[in-house]
Amino acid sequence: MNPPATHFDLQRNPAGNLMFTDAAGVVHDNVLPLRLFPLTDPDRWVAITSSGGQDLACIEDLAALPGPTRELLLDALAQRDFVPLILSIHAILRAAHGYEWHVTTDRGKTHFTVENDESIQPLAGGSIVVMDHRNTRYLITDPATLDLKSRQRLERYY
Amino acid sequence: MPADPLTPPLLEKRLETGERVMARFQVDLDQRLQFQKGLLVLTNRRLLCFEENQAGPQPFQDWALGEIAGLSMEEMGATAALHLTATAASGNRHWRFTAGLVKEADTFVACFLEQQRALDGGVPSTMAEPMEAEGDNEGLGFTDLMPDVTHGNPLLRLLKFSRPWLRLIVLGLLLTIAATSASLLTPWITGVLVDKLLIPLQTKSDEIQLRQLLPYAAMLLGTALVAWLLKWWRTFVVARIAELVTSRLRRELFEHLQSLSLIYFNKKRTGDLISRIGTDTDRLSLFISVNFIDFVCDVFQFAFTAFILFKIHPLLAFAALGPVPLVAWLVKCVRGHLLSGFAASSRAWSLMTSVLSDTIPGVRVVKAFAQEQREIARFRQTDHHVFSTNDRVNRTWSFFSPMIEMFTDLGLLIIWVVGAMTVAHGSLTVGVLWCFVTYTTRFYGRLEAMSRFFASAQRAAASAHRVFEVLDVEPDMPATEGTRRIGRLSGHIEFRDIKFRHGSRQIIRGINLNIAPGEMIGLVGPSGAGKTTLVNLACRFFDVSEGAILVDGQDLRDIHVEDFRKNIGLVLQEPYLFFGTIGDNISYGKPDATREEIIAAAKAARAHEFIMKLVDGYDSMVGERGQQLSGGERQRISIARALLIDPAILILDEATSSVDTETEREIQRALDNLVHGRTTIAIAHRLGTLRLANRLVVLEDGRISEIGTHEQLLKTSGTYARLHQAMQEVSQA
Repeated sequence: MNPPATHFDLQRNPAGNLMFTDAAGVVHDNVLPLRLFPLTDPDRWVAITSSGGQDLACIEDLAALPGPTRELLLDALAQRDFVPLILSIHAILRAAHGYEWHVTTDRGKTHFTVENDESIQPLAGGSIVVMDHRNTRYLITDPATLDLKSRQRLERYY
Repeated sequence: MPADPLTPPLLEKRLETGERVMARFQVDLDQRLQFQKGLLVLTNRRLLCFEENQAGPQPFQDWALGEIAGLSMEEMGATAALHLTATAASGNRHWRFTAGLVKEADTFVACFLEQQRALDGGVPSTMAEPMEAEGDNEGLGFTDLMPDVTHGNPLLRLLKFSRPWLRLIVLGLLLTIAATSASLLTPWITGVLVDKLLIPLQTKSDEIQLRQLLPYAAMLLGTALVAWLLKWWRTFVVARIAELVTSRLRRELFEHLQSLSLIYFNKKRTGDLISRIGTDTDRLSLFISVNFIDFVCDVFQFAFTAFILFKIHPLLAFAALGPVPLVAWLVKCVRGHLLSGFAASSRAWSLMTSVLSDTIPGVRVVKAFAQEQREIARFRQTDHHVFSTNDRVNRTWSFFSPMIEMFTDLGLLIIWVVGAMTVAHGSLTVGVLWCFVTYTTRFYGRLEAMSRFFASAQRAAASAHRVFEVLDVEPDMPATEGTRRIGRLSGHIEFRDIKFRHGSRQIIRGINLNIAPGEMIGLVGPSGAGKTTLVNLACRFFDVSEGAILVDGQDLRDIHVEDFRKNIGLVLQEPYLFFGTIGDNISYGKPDATREEIIAAAKAARAHEFIMKLVDGYDSMVGERGQQLSGGERQRISIARALLIDPAILILDEATSSVDTETEREIQRALDNLVHGRTTIAIAHRLGTLRLANRLVVLEDGRISEIGTHEQLLKTSGTYARLHQAMQEVSQA
């Protein structure tokens, strides 16, 4: 199916684009790495796609990659990834359309609007994804690890 | 051969020596379609006909088998006819019967043909003996889909349902009694307080210190506290019982629903079922936790206060409780009225839920046809129905509380009059009278509460009835629940002379088809020809009425259903995605699939590329409110779902019908991966989907009319050639 993870090469060309050399030695310029399970399994299953959206390779486990390649890949992924992790919830207030959440995430303090109950969904493995009205997703990896106040606030809406 | 119950002596009398009964058929109509029983009996020599009405023109008629040129059945809508053609035209005869008996008639005709063949070939007719037994035992099996009549009072059955928590229930009752006793102490203490303290204080007859009030106050406070604690505990225990019982009800309802066949779901409205699981069980929970326990309290207090009243002053008690029998009589009068009223209101409610669950999912159609006003009118009508049924029943029960208040006042009036006289007489103290008045007020209060319980009990009974009605439906499949465990099948399917009848409609009229492992069969034919029914039979969503389906040489009915279904991959015209992530949807048939398997299945179904482009990839939410996917994308996810379980038998029911040509091509490529190496039955209107098929089977009116490859069928210029021609014209236009 897929060439084993080690049978390819990934470089950054001078223009800053990712260059991918596949098992057959064909070089693809400007490739795009994508997480296939960004919420439930972000560190495994990363696909490399061509600029045309074609599937070039699929990396099962990032940890198995040689260090520099992994760094490069993680760096490229980080450019596109935006799923803030909610660390604590300060307040959930009634707003005109839904509820306004005031939170601290791993990317800093923010607030956003959650439209309805369906926007808060459990994922496999006990994590919870919260979708705001602009479709940005926030992740609570494990509600049990939140502080007591945050947990109580969450429980009123989920 | 036991004699027929209808005409035991008559039949015996008519039989010649050595004549054996081979089959019987009881018709239920006469020539003018009036209900009238008649019996046809087939022996190894003759066909005999008895009429129930012995005074009729021809109570008995018989034909030697040699005299009969033919016997055939004709379906005529709600009724059917059996035509007998005799060699002499004067002997022709017709019988009529309701369509429910068609299956028996079929068996009878088959038996007759068997006998005639035996007679012609000179083979001893004993060969056909088993046929008769079979025909007799089949009975009215198919028409018995109606739910059983609910046995016993539904509320008593509810009690049976709560048996596992008997100890908790006993605890709840004990707490109730204790809490009630505690609160009943208050008036007594107050009575003593009045006599021992207040009156002497007022009259200043004795040396009474105000501090003597303290022990009484302490006692009153103590009972209040104890009553509060006990009531708290009791309410919690009872609420837990209610939740446990209704949770079990909901669970069993859902589990039971899952065991019912598709036939049941086709007959039922979704909204009604949802309202039974949701609203009705919730009502029951409220009933147990609030109304029922209140009632037990009330009964206890009622009896206890009555006892105290009589203990204090029998004559006064007698006078005060005079109006009670009148109340009891009134309650009895309106009982039936309330019960039917609450049942009507429950039905009206589920009708309204049905309208909602009909209109909300179908909102696109409603808007497209600009029928909003009509739906509003429809909802308004059902809502008004809810209002008027509730209004009617409210009129009855709302009559109660004021009436009982009136009786309370009446009872109190009696006490004041009689009490004042006895106090004047000197045989009663003011404190006792005070105590008496308080108890009487409580007594009537309990009576009022009990009458209210009465209304809620009837409401709960109506709900319980609706819940048990579902639980009492016998699952119609597991009559022959297969037990043979199987692993992976090779995929050989044989339809052996199968027939299927739904209600009075014969849908499959005899199909013989042998499908080799790995072969792909394309099913084509006009709609209503029985294509979908045939694949439903192959999935064992229904059982065949006659004949048998064999997979790998084993009768489908002997095989464990779940084992069999694990071998089946189903792709439907309207792919159904559950609420959840794309990954979860793909692994629906195999929840323990690894991510590698999920990705591989998606790749084979040509779904991988578009999934990759979604922001959340395989973690994207789909389903009712999730990510918007196109019809083709949803279909490819459902193909991946079928691929993942790696089924031996694949069923495609119009998998490409609802998408555009471009998407069809994509799906087509996905399907090519899917059908490879599997036995496939594909239904398609677009004949392109079937280009890989080894054989095409044309179904018409429940029978196979043509069978062969694409080229063969084109050459014969039959139905398939016509369909193909029509398709070509459509695609050119």
